[in-house]
Amino acid sequence: MSSDLPRADRRKFLKGAALTGAAALAPATAPAQAAPPRAELKAAAPGPKLVAAETQPPANDPVNQTSSGGEFMVDVLKALDFDYLAMNCASSFRGIHEAIVNYGGNKPEIITCPHEEIAVHMAQGYAKIEGKPIAMMCHGTVGLQHAAMALYNSWCDRVPVYVMIGNIIEADKRAPGVEWVHSAIDPAAIVRDFVKWDDQPASLQHFAESAVRAYKVATTPPMGPVLLSLDAELQENPIADRGKLRIPKVTKVVPPVADAGALAEAARLLATAENPVIVCDRLARTPAGMARLVELAETLQCAVVDQGGRMNFPTRHPLNQTFRARAVISQADVVLGIEMNDFYGALNAFHDRIVRTTYPVRKGSAKTISLGNRDLYLKSNYQDFGRLADVDLAIAGDGEASLPLLTDQVKRLVDEVRRSAYQGRGEKLAKAKLAMVEQTKSDATIGWDASPITTARMCAEVYAQIKDEDWSLVGNAIRNTWPQRLWNFDKSYRWNGVSGGAGVGYNAPASVGAALANKRHGRLTLAFGGDGDLMFVPSTLWTAAHHRIPLLYIVHNNRAYHQEYMYLVAMAARLGRGIDNSEIGTVIADPHVDYATVARGFGVHGEGPISDPAELAPALKRAIAVVKSGQPALVDVVTDPR
Amino acid sequence: MVRLFVRIFWAALFALALSGASFAEEGAADAAKGKQVYLKLRCFTCHGRVGQGGGFNYPVPALAAIELPVEAFQAFLREPPNDMPAFSTAVLSDKEAADMWAWLHALPGRKPAKDFPLLNQ
Repeated sequence: MSSDLPRADRRKFLKGAALTGAAALAPATAPAQAAPPRAELKAAAPGPKLVAAETQPPANDPVNQTSSGGEFMVDVLKALDFDYLAMNCASSFRGIHEAIVNYGGNKPEIITCPHEEIAVHMAQGYAKIEGKPIAMMCHGTVGLQHAAMALYNSWCDRVPVYVMIGNIIEADKRAPGVEWVHSAIDPAAIVRDFVKWDDQPASLQHFAESAVRAYKVATTPPMGPVLLSLDAELQENPIADRGKLRIPKVTKVVPPVADAGALAEAARLLATAENPVIVCDRLARTPAGMARLVELAETLQCAVVDQGGRMNFPTRHPLNQTFRARAVISQADVVLGIEMNDFYGALNAFHDRIVRTTYPVRKGSAKTISLGNRDLYLKSNYQDFGRLADVDLAIAGDGEASLPLLTDQVKRLVDEVRRSAYQGRGEKLAKAKLAMVEQTKSDATIGWDASPITTARMCAEVYAQIKDEDWSLVGNAIRNTWPQRLWNFDKSYRWNGVSGGAGVGYNAPASVGAALANKRHGRLTLAFGGDGDLMFVPSTLWTAAHHRIPLLYIVHNNRAYHQEYMYLVAMAARLGRGIDNSEIGTVIADPHVDYATVARGFGVHGEGPISDPAELAPALKRAIAVVKSGQPALVDVVTDPR
Repeated sequence: MVRLFVRIFWAALFALALSGASFAEEGAADAAKGKQVYLKLRCFTCHGRVGQGGGFNYPVPALAAIELPVEAFQAFLREPPNDMPAFSTAVLSDKEAADMWAWLHALPGRKPAKDFPLLNQ
């Protein structure tokens, strides 16, 4: 590798180093001045080498220095305006770690995480709420291996996570033993399939430029994780000449707006359609996203299906037909998919039977339009891009950035005749929405007083306690759709999306990360999380307690890895040989886990386990009081499966 | 798949009309045993312990206070649509299916939502 230090021996360049310590304390006497040996001494006189070693200063082995490369790295991180750095400490980045806490005054503020997966997921949850990334740091080998799954989630979720790893590049600088097993030629290789960009800078100037580039790459749609590998020598050694180092300008890239002609054609198709439908997934990047989608939908008075990758559309809006998706898509003559991860899946149904089949949900004559960043960037190995959908008009461009122009084009085509037709369409949709909500409420009454508690009752009890607060639901258990069906999600931070890669262990740390972002805004942050999910990363609770991150975490404790439990039942039934063994490897029982006690062990207020629905409200009240005082709290609710 | 379900439903009714048979003739359905069967077959993993429904890869319907005729229910179990597993006679006899239906049919079903303040927030 090249370096800003000479290759022969960097330590000769320790210009800022002071020769102190043992050397300074060595006696100033020369061997010639030593007293003659006394006859009664039995030990042999020291030879000239030993005398020299004991009395002369070492050749070049300073013990103090006045600067470190890590300091410059901290200057760069500050220029990038990182608020936090989530990490688990590791020797391969001890240089920059020291620089952050002492030189940098703990800015960015270090968030101590007991596992690298927690650190990445915290960054993922934070970025979606706050609209900007935080940094994450770990060992280049074992730490990155821990972090890998969470990075995959972030990649699939299109979230910027800024990862730095420690490495010791030069073999002759590694200490025997651990430093060898903690070093790699190309440490980013194991995650390169699911990070957007990575680099291993060879000098401090190189670091500065790559750090700024990485930030720009991560935050430019389609967003994604980036990684920088930091050589330990670069972090630790003194800066040769600070005056020569410069930090490049940090400039955000303006998201690409789609081609105006293509948007005009999309507008024509939408405006002239009888039943246009908008389907969206990871659309809203900023608070403006939801308002822009509402404006387009209201202009057209068309159905919107929000797949929930972001907080795209108000849940109680009469045009929100998310839970009537099949019905509205099957009647559509134009379907516009915006920032869709799986447009094919929205347009087709799939059956997980012995012979797996798909069939189209939409009418064969329906026109389909895609708008988003999806076509601009993808990779080969991991198949998160889904099956290729039949699309009549594919428009590349950022969905949120392109919406104003699209809406404007639609408005130009709306005359009085169309406006009247649109109004009639909207009224029909509103009626259907109302009927669906009433049906949902009626469904929720079944088993209202049952124990284990139904998920409908659990969610209704929780909403009763938070609805008058400035709440933000930042995590949810699998298939728990009651909040989106019955709660009023009307602000951009009411919902924070999902894991992306369906990697288990996301919910708790991502929720803590989101709560960290919400803390400065004074919002009441809450999340539902499955027990199986929490079992992967229970020590997340310690991070929440240690850093005083207020979060109400409600464990949807169905005492199983329930999705897999259902799959095993289905497999066993398919083979007709009994399903009595379906609990093996799928349930979390014998013993049952007492998550409230687990929480208390980590310093978090714990309530439960609660299996009587009548006890839920008092427990939630106590927990919310704790959260409002600035601390995390957990409520363990023993629930029926789904 | 909806069409498949409808075919099964009418076929079951037709077969019943032809044969004049009913599960009642084989012995009265036993709701208590039906609950045991429901739990043993892990039907609750998708449909809930009180038949309230749930979610698998799709929303799973509620079964409490089931109105589907028992014969159609049985036919449905043998060849269900979508992702629901089929339950052959090797794991579920006709009598057990009838028992289960009796239990589900007797379960309290939906109630007027207006009587639940927490559902009207």
